Amino acid sequence: MGSKRLLFGCLIIGIFSLLAIAAPLVSPYDPSSIDQAGLLMPPSARHLLGTDGLGRDLLSRIIYGARISLSIGLIAVGISVAIGLVFGAVSGFYGGLIDSLIMRFVDIMLCFPTFYLILAVTAILGPSIFNIMIIIGLTSWMGTARLIRAEILSLKEREFIQAERAIGASSSRIILRHLIPNAIGPVMVNATLGIAGAILVESGLSFLGLGVQPPTPSWGNILIESKSTLGVAWWITVFPGAAILTTILGFNFIAEGLKKKIG
Amino acid sequence: MGNLLEIRNLKVNFNLDDQVITAVDGVDLDVREGEVLVLAGESGSGKTVTALSITRLLPRTAEIVSGSVMLRGKDLARLSEDSLAAIRGKEIAYIFQEPSSFLNPVYTIGNQLLEAITLHHGKDKEEALKEARELLALVKIREPERVLLDYPHQLSGGMNQRVFLAMALACRPKLLIADEPTTSLDVTVEAQILQLLMELKMRLGFSLLFITHNLSIARRIADRVSVMYKGEVVEEALTEDIFKAPKHSHTRELIRAYEKIGRL
Repeated sequence: MGSKRLLFGCLIIGIFSLLAIAAPLVSPYDPSSIDQAGLLMPPSARHLLGTDGLGRDLLSRIIYGARISLSIGLIAVGISVAIGLVFGAVSGFYGGLIDSLIMRFVDIMLCFPTFYLILAVTAILGPSIFNIMIIIGLTSWMGTARLIRAEILSLKEREFIQAERAIGASSSRIILRHLIPNAIGPVMVNATLGIAGAILVESGLSFLGLGVQPPTPSWGNILIESKSTLGVAWWITVFPGAAILTTILGFNFIAEGLKKKIG
Repeated sequence: MGNLLEIRNLKVNFNLDDQVITAVDGVDLDVREGEVLVLAGESGSGKTVTALSITRLLPRTAEIVSGSVMLRGKDLARLSEDSLAAIRGKEIAYIFQEPSSFLNPVYTIGNQLLEAITLHHGKDKEEALKEARELLALVKIREPERVLLDYPHQLSGGMNQRVFLAMALACRPKLLIADEPTTSLDVTVEAQILQLLMELKMRLGFSLLFITHNLSIARRIADRVSVMYKGEVVEEALTEDIFKAPKHSHTRELIRAYEKIGRL
């Protein structure tokens, strides 16, 4: 069951990733070119998913939007895993005062309602794709840190770590080469879910106008543009929504599959 | 023969939540150049704690309260953690009881051997790989090429112990500390490993501190035997003397117990 889910998830994410990478080749139109023939055209042979309120091809915008949304997800999670790994590993390995300090800091970070924190920071720094990646990364590393810490707490008592010390390996070598590779499994599961979370946050931010700025398409800001025309043009809401839903499902499938596979 | 290692008045406490337990209480121990010293004693007598104290590999709750550990005139008990790490594996190496759990499950044998080889001297990959093969041949592993690519879980306990021995000998240590290295193995494999250890000792000339509760092993391999009881060394003598004329009552008891089950 686990491997079927994993395969299915990989298939979904693989397709979206391929579309995103090959966007200029596969998208039928330029995402910001306007079709003079009409705006709010329903799906047809000419525009497979219809056009939006400015007459732009929705399919092309969703394909280009995948680039933005997926890369925000990946890079934000990359940042958060990197921070979480460092804090979690140091905390778990050294213990004592350092551990208490880092874990209390984690508690404090967890106390903030993350979304409002992100809103506040974007309001100050200004919305840009780059800022969004960093902010999401900086506010989502705590789970990873706790996970890594817990893993390392139990791993460091294992015999092969003692054996490493007995052949003269330094602490940093033990952490980097022996503890983290053994602890990485659950982190990968968590990170996969994190990518889904980051894409959702980006969509939410873009929906509020604090995310990716038009005319650059992201799944979130395509959705926001659909808001005013929801009554007359269902396709502008449904298709980007479906893209978000499918991607997140895909990442969740991967995470679940991985969890079953690596326990 | 001179002394390679001199332990004087070693005392180790375990600081638990509500009590302090003295595991090693004033141990003196000498290991001479090139000899096999067996440290014998029942479970909980402090053998392992003594051995781990030599290079301070103790668990966090343990504390060396007093004593000195002189390795050729250097007091290991006063060295910093970094200088001690330079001695571990290079001058003093260990092998342990459960070889399979002392190898990292996520790396191949080759990978771990290479680490042990390059940890103390920088060597290029070619050279290190050549040495890894030689080490596996040294511990009499057939098909070293295949074993280099295997993971620990693919090998038997005896094979893993050979691999671990190869890792321990990678830097040609002067002292090998073997903490019940054959206890988890069956009797035939045990005999093979013991024989291998003795052969390698002759060939490479290291001193061996062998920890066991098994007196028949002690009799087979030891030059001298130290008997520990409740954290103290109660008797230390040449192997033949200790079995012929044990002085301490606990030693006599141990020997009698072994004679009773006919294993001595």
